[in-house]
Amino acid sequence: MVFTNPALRHQVIQIYKQLLFMGREYPLGYDYYRTRLHKAFASQQHLTDEEQIKKGIARAEFVKKEIEALYFLKRYRTLRQRYEKP
Amino acid sequence: MFRTALLRSARQAIRAAPRCQAPIARPVVRSSMFQAKQIVPAARFQAVRCYSASAGLTKDEVEGRIMDLLKNFDKVTEPEKLNGEAHFHNDLGLDSLDTVEVVMAIEEEFSIEIPDKEADAIHSVKQAVDYILAQPDAH
Repeated sequence: MVFTNPALRHQVIQIYKQLLFMGREYPLGYDYYRTRLHKAFASQQHLTDEEQIKKGIARAEFVKKEIEALYFLKRYRTLRQRYEKP
Repeated sequence: MFRTALLRSARQAIRAAPRCQAPIARPVVRSSMFQAKQIVPAARFQAVRCYSASAGLTKDEVEGRIMDLLKNFDKVTEPEKLNGEAHFHNDLGLDSLDTVEVVMAIEEEFSIEIPDKEADAIHSVKQAVDYILAQPDAH
């Protein structure tokens, strides 16, 4: 493995951890989420250019927000279902 | 009610204390008679619990728990290679992302938080065991 920038490496690991942690509540199950997340990160392992890696981190941040939004939506839908008349 | 229990245990402790020292001076024959009585104060409950004391994990226990954790990890390609010295990458076929997952699982198992720098240095079962043993707040 090529160690490019240790700071960037830590950032990547950090976001990977955060995403993993968020996946615990994933509707399709943690294992589904974990394998896909792993694949997504592994597919980018050839990146060596710092700019590219930074872009990848930004994408991961974006995905994190998307997952957050997904959870809020799920919660909203569940609540709405409960309050609506059957 | 709690206070009375506390007082009672304290009183028992005071009463038990001289009894524990006594047998040293007594002849051997008589001490066997007292032996039965001495077991009772030994079993008294501890009034003071040290919550901040370390859990006192043994090396075997830590190793066993980490092994169990790895056994349940589905990405370990060669489970027969799993032993106390196994290297995550060379022996178990895990990549760096899997290592992060294993370290996270270890954090959860022992209810501690491993800082990134230390987490980065854990590459084998032995290193993980050593790290956990060095942490006083690991459970």
